[in-house]
Amino acid sequence: MLAARLKRPLAIAAVAAVLAAAVAGCANASSGAAGSFTPRTANTLTVATAQIPDPGFWEGTFAHPTGGFEYRLAQKLAARFGLNKLKVVEVPFHELVRGRLGGADLALSDITITDERAEHLDFSSSYLKAPPSILVRPGTEVSDVKAARALHWAVQHDTTLKTALERSIEPTTQTLVFEHQREVLLALHVGRASAVMLDLPVALAYARDSPRSYAVAGQLPSEAQLGVALPQGSHNVEAIDSAIRGLKAEGEIDRLGHEWLHADLQEGRAEDVPVLRAEE
Amino acid sequence: MLALIELSTPKGAPREFLLVFAVLLLGPILFRRAGIPGIIGLLVGGYAIGPHGLSLIGAGNNTLPDLGQLGLLYLMFVAGVELDLNLISKYRRSTISFGILTFAIPFVLGTVVGLALGWETLAAILLGSLLASHTLITYPAVKDAGLASDPAVATAVGSTVLTDTLALIVLAAVAGSVAGGRSSVEVAAQVGVGLIVLVGYSLFVLPQMAGWAFRWLGTERAVRYVVAITAFLSAATVAELFGIEGIVGAFFAGLGMNRLVPNEGQLMDRIEFFGGAVFIPVFLVSVGLILDPSVMVKSETLGLAGLFILACLGGKVLAAQITARLFGFSRAQAGLLFSLSAAQAAATLAATVIGFQLGLFSSAVVNAVLVLIFASVLASTIAGARASARMSSPDGPRPLGTRVVVGVADPALALGALTLARRIARADGGVVHPLLVVPESAPFAPRPALAELSEVVAAAGVDGRVLTIVDRSVLHGALRVGRSQEATLVLVAEPAADDDSQQAPAALAAGARERAEERSPAPPVAVVRGNAGRLGVVRMRLDNEELQSSSLATEMARRVASGPAERLDEDHADWSELLAPGDVTFVSSELADTLGKLPGAANGLVVSTVAEWLIREESAGDAAPELPGDATAV
Repeated sequence: MLAARLKRPLAIAAVAAVLAAAVAGCANASSGAAGSFTPRTANTLTVATAQIPDPGFWEGTFAHPTGGFEYRLAQKLAARFGLNKLKVVEVPFHELVRGRLGGADLALSDITITDERAEHLDFSSSYLKAPPSILVRPGTEVSDVKAARALHWAVQHDTTLKTALERSIEPTTQTLVFEHQREVLLALHVGRASAVMLDLPVALAYARDSPRSYAVAGQLPSEAQLGVALPQGSHNVEAIDSAIRGLKAEGEIDRLGHEWLHADLQEGRAEDVPVLRAEE
Repeated sequence: MLALIELSTPKGAPREFLLVFAVLLLGPILFRRAGIPGIIGLLVGGYAIGPHGLSLIGAGNNTLPDLGQLGLLYLMFVAGVELDLNLISKYRRSTISFGILTFAIPFVLGTVVGLALGWETLAAILLGSLLASHTLITYPAVKDAGLASDPAVATAVGSTVLTDTLALIVLAAVAGSVAGGRSSVEVAAQVGVGLIVLVGYSLFVLPQMAGWAFRWLGTERAVRYVVAITAFLSAATVAELFGIEGIVGAFFAGLGMNRLVPNEGQLMDRIEFFGGAVFIPVFLVSVGLILDPSVMVKSETLGLAGLFILACLGGKVLAAQITARLFGFSRAQAGLLFSLSAAQAAATLAATVIGFQLGLFSSAVVNAVLVLIFASVLASTIAGARASARMSSPDGPRPLGTRVVVGVADPALALGALTLARRIARADGGVVHPLLVVPESAPFAPRPALAELSEVVAAAGVDGRVLTIVDRSVLHGALRVGRSQEATLVLVAEPAADDDSQQAPAALAAGARERAEERSPAPPVAVVRGNAGRLGVVRMRLDNEELQSSSLATEMARRVASGPAERLDEDHADWSELLAPGDVTFVSSELADTLGKLPGAANGLVVSTVAEWLIREESAGDAAPELPGDATAV
């Protein structure tokens, strides 16, 4: 009796299940729930970056990277997409931010997400907060913005750091602008500059690696964040974006931060570094 | 002069809040005018100000997503706290059957679709679970149609507890599996232990703590509201301790607080007000930030949406049809089952957002789910309207404790009656409205008495509106307000032993009794003598004839005792036992008068029902039930 009553609904259920499965099967089966990744070179994730070594982020050389936050992140992304090889290519920073990735699938190079850069690139969600910070030689006091203004500054060309320096500090002397980050560091090292502006995680890594040469004197209040950059219109954005969210949820980003940057920077916390506010 | 004025570009929190509140204000209004549900206006508004729209709020902004997270917890708390738990016990079989079917069929279909699309198993399971839950979006309309007590409606409402709980348990398991990278046994143990602790905390510890806080932390509305917020945030935190998503904790906190926050109470009013005005809309706006029309119109997204709609609505139709056949529901009732269980909103959106945050879902999936939500809300609204039009059965009688008015003249004597009323109302998920009846001879501004009553009300853990009325007697005043408020029960706290303002039945002429029989029905009334904040043994000392005629006393006693009350012989004459402190005894009105004059009468609670003809006689001078405004809410 009961079976007779339910015969029709159950038959409809079976048909619906078969239909749904069939329609789903006919859909784009290669597209996962989190998006699909198609590398430019089969079985290889090609990553562009501007500088190796970049303390804390890329260790070793271009030919033989040995570690670092962004290198390990690249490895985890490759593993997530089932790619066995990781290839690293060198591309100048000013080229990267203009969307020229040298044939790479993506760029991992301390790139801050900005609207201006988003005109040339597609970005994933952020993986690190990176407020601008002030790197000095040990012993240089920077108590407030007024004191910072009087310093001799060096900064990298075509970066958000240059904009932050000009808007928030407004140096009273001519700022030295360089093409590469290593030249900026060299200027500080040899005394041509008394302070340089770097992303906080980068500055912390330099200070930790060379405490006799560098110290982080302060950070500026900012929502600046680092993200994975992809060529504009890339079909891989969804997959990279989902992967970054997944790595955050799994705690991998935190683990990498602790291992390579020795700081919990996902939320932008570096509480022992004073924040210099414009009104101070 | 103008050159002296320097304007700077607004930035920071005030500008962001302004944008969000502008969306909260304008989004729903504009869309409703176009005949589109307001929820869509909030989502579209979020898109408009978000990174995919005008980019007024950038991708890196944390303020709005954080506020949205609070709104999401709030939404799940409200989903749990406003469910009518009585319906589950009343229609247990059909509720459980429908709950399992309306969860299982879309769950299986959704999981099959996910797997057929080549998704990861976890993503496919999460898709199944988010299609399996439902939100009672059409319930207010069905309720307004007078169908709230229809068995099919009660079944669908009751099943919500089951479907949402199961969906959230699946979410907890999936999230646990993603986060740890551990073995399935470890994940099962972690989630299992976590759920046991969470259920214990939310359903047993939390109500005790909240009840204590309501009674002792003060009578202020703000304090009670903050207690409720703290309660669900604490449960969410307990959930996160075990790696379970906070929304699961917030939902269980809602279930735990369900009895303490009656649907018609003031606290629920405030929870719904702030939730409806700010928190939940902010969550929806934050979801709108993810909305990307360029993704939504892609063939991939629309294809996914079509499959989700097929699996979800197809599964819900089947569950409704099977349940209707199993329990002999009509076609219209099957339509109501479908209408109430088809709409996807709260739990679906919550699980989708969590799936997105975990990296299991791409924005294409999120946008496809948003299309599903829109389609399901539309389908359930249309189906609900059609089914309601075909239904003819109006609402049946409401349970006794649905709305209890407690009339008092002296606040000092109100605690016992209020405590008793709270027990009765709590059993039916109802509300208690305390009423201060001011004698006509008294000055009109009884502020000290009202302040005293408010304190007693808080001590009794009662959450209704405190009302006041000027009237010739407590019984008459309480009856007038009871009729105007459509009360299901009126309790009258007996003022004093020598007060003769309440006329005994014998004092009325026989003719009056006959005239009263012909008048319109009024709520049942009982008189409570004595005072006690904590209730003890519940007894009934009524003779067989009184027991048969007084089902009201039996019903009240059952609710107060949470089961059958102890029955005493009609010749039981140990008055000191009946008047033991805190004990509740249901007696005849004659015996109540006698007991009320004994020494120590105020220690125990003596309850007697008032005859229907006397109630009608008391209402004799009232031409029609008064409007609610006849009594003043304080």
